[in-house]
Amino acid sequence: MHNETALKLSTLVSSSNAKAVMATLGDSNVTVDSGSILEVCRALKSEGYNVLQCITATDYADRIEITYVLADFTKNLELLLKTNVPRGDGNGNNKDTLPKINSVASVWRAADFQEREAYDMMGINFVGHPDLRRILTPDDWQGYPLRKDYIVQEKYLDMVVNPAHKINSADHMFGKNLKLEIGDPKKVSASWKSDDADPTAEEAKDGE
Amino acid sequence: MSTHHEPEDKIMLGDQEILKSDLLTLNMGPQHPATHGVLRVEIKTDSEIVVDAIPHLGYLHRCFEKHAENLDYRGIIPFVDRMDYLAAMSMEWGYALTMEKMLGTEVPKRAEYIRVLVAELQRIASHLVYFGTYGIDMGAFTTFLYCFQDREEILRLFEELSGARMLYNYIWIGGVWNDINDDQLTRVKNFVDRFEPELLKYHSLVGQNKIFIERTAHVGVLSKEQCLDFGATGPILRGSGVEWDLRKNRPYGMYEKIDFDVVVGKGEKGTVGDCWDRYYVRIFEMFESIKIIRQVLDGIEEGPVMGKVPKIIKVPAGEIYMRTECPRGELGYHLISDGGKTPYRLKVKSSCFTHVSMLPIIAPGQMVADLVASIGSIDIVLGEVDR
Amino acid sequence: METIHLKKQIEPELTIGKWFKNVYDAVRTTAIGMGITFKYVWGREVVTIEYPEVREELPSNSRSRLYNDAENCISCLQCAVSCPVDCIYIAAVKRPTDAPKIKTKDGTPIRLDLKQYTIDTALCMYCGLCTTVCPTECLTHTTDYEYASYTLASMKYDYLAPDIRAWRTRIVKS
Repeated sequence: MHNETALKLSTLVSSSNAKAVMATLGDSNVTVDSGSILEVCRALKSEGYNVLQCITATDYADRIEITYVLADFTKNLELLLKTNVPRGDGNGNNKDTLPKINSVASVWRAADFQEREAYDMMGINFVGHPDLRRILTPDDWQGYPLRKDYIVQEKYLDMVVNPAHKINSADHMFGKNLKLEIGDPKKVSASWKSDDADPTAEEAKDGE
Repeated sequence: MSTHHEPEDKIMLGDQEILKSDLLTLNMGPQHPATHGVLRVEIKTDSEIVVDAIPHLGYLHRCFEKHAENLDYRGIIPFVDRMDYLAAMSMEWGYALTMEKMLGTEVPKRAEYIRVLVAELQRIASHLVYFGTYGIDMGAFTTFLYCFQDREEILRLFEELSGARMLYNYIWIGGVWNDINDDQLTRVKNFVDRFEPELLKYHSLVGQNKIFIERTAHVGVLSKEQCLDFGATGPILRGSGVEWDLRKNRPYGMYEKIDFDVVVGKGEKGTVGDCWDRYYVRIFEMFESIKIIRQVLDGIEEGPVMGKVPKIIKVPAGEIYMRTECPRGELGYHLISDGGKTPYRLKVKSSCFTHVSMLPIIAPGQMVADLVASIGSIDIVLGEVDR
Repeated sequence: METIHLKKQIEPELTIGKWFKNVYDAVRTTAIGMGITFKYVWGREVVTIEYPEVREELPSNSRSRLYNDAENCISCLQCAVSCPVDCIYIAAVKRPTDAPKIKTKDGTPIRLDLKQYTIDTALCMYCGLCTTVCPTECLTHTTDYEYASYTLASMKYDYLAPDIRAWRTRIVKS
């Protein structure tokens, strides 16, 4: 099914460069060029994919992979459509440095909220989206939380995030102090490995 | 889709211009009994008529997807429960199916039957909450108490099965945690026998009531095309007259062998796709669930309840998108694994999130009180919307 | 200036006959509803539990307060590894070779001396994953559910401390 769809797509949209990626385990997908996503989606909708289930993105070291999950309720089909965009700069709250891709909100209205979520969580600028605002985090949030290199901001609206007097430091130090008291334990639980990686603890996790 | 309104804009309701006054911005929520959780809807009204409604989400955002990237595959299940906390069993089942498909685990027959049984009981419990709270939205308090009394019986059974009332952690990868005993099966049988006539009674108490019909019929109409365009699923899509149920169309678990009907809204009291139709679909889905439970009770066989699963689960590299039919609509898990002990990416497609996005098309042109009816009828759980 | 078109709600045409029918329907269906609720006045059992006076007994496998029977613990750390929120703190040292050999109740030899076994109940989410992996079944969920406290520090249960060990007789069955 995927090979046929890819073949059909490359005839319908010549610039799409559609390839079927067949998987031995799990779901196969069709990968297209990010520049032609809008035309591809229009073509797919006319082919019968009448529902956009969701838009998700995955952060890899060198690229961001956007997945469109499409479904055809009349013929009972499901298709994963993938495209790749460069990562861009995901720090701060600047839309211009983000990777750009055309919005498909004009094809399926479902894309409206799904793209807003992808923008909020992964930092992708959907060009032509009617109302591209953050959806789950506040409007002035810095950074994009689901990126692998995301670091929690230190300050938010001049308020310090996690100020020292609000952290239950006794709780924080509990494990550390315990370790100091016990001396050199043979085994410590995984909860402790945050401050210095204990090889025995790792072993305990891998073993058995 | 929010539009920016200027004070001198002309607002037409149907073919006549409505009372020209300044638009009033009204915040409904986040602490509002009619929004069913921490949803904030920014409403622009002209006198009593809603011109625009913009939902603001994120008050319950916990970034489940980021959590999942740092947890082992078994440890995710308790977090999955906390998404749709009124239908935790269905959430778990979807996740377990995703993992089993990737791992190639064979689930024992008895476990499959128990899964169908608990998922359908959960569907009844979840729809009972909808029914009860929708009654409150409409000014009928009695059903709320009746529904919660019946729901309590289901929750009690779940507590005996799994040990918790709401966040079960019961359906595991490869099977279910505990076996169900004959005594509990008899109780389920007694419950459905007692509950079926009760439900009919509730339906004639609320659903057939003229006041309720006046409040819900012709209100919040969603057409078939709008539903498909927005990707709505579950009772909303079925309420608009589309016969689409994953349990029928893409069967998983034991549903292939089970005979039941898909309830579709027919516009009995008003237009197809109005609030009353969505109510109707949910109520008669409960009857279908009872039918399914009866078949499960007849067909359940002896055997183990846990399949063979490695002690440390490592999912081979690959990806999968798996959807299941939950009480509120289709739930999709998109799992990308790189072969490690934690998922590389786990995306949850929640149906409630999609349904919230339909508020801006339901609301305009309604009275504020009808908006309450519309929000109640799409039945959202904010835990699943914000994740 | 632009024109915003709102969709008008469909309202069925109202004639005088329909108006009277509506009134009749409203009275009739409400009377049916009242009849249903009226039956609840007599002959129904009270379902409310008046909490402080009447205490509900939870089912035996209910997942409430955790209790670790430290004598049977072999410090295998499986509970700490499986915990999704990392709220179990364990420390154990190797048992000296000349010490007397001890065993748990089910006969597993204890090779490590447990020095610390603390569960932060304030972090615990009662998922039950730790109790299912326990090989000697020393870590269990009890059915005790009344243990609210004023400070976070008192939510940390050190199961080697004598005052917490004293619960055993009260909350652990058999």
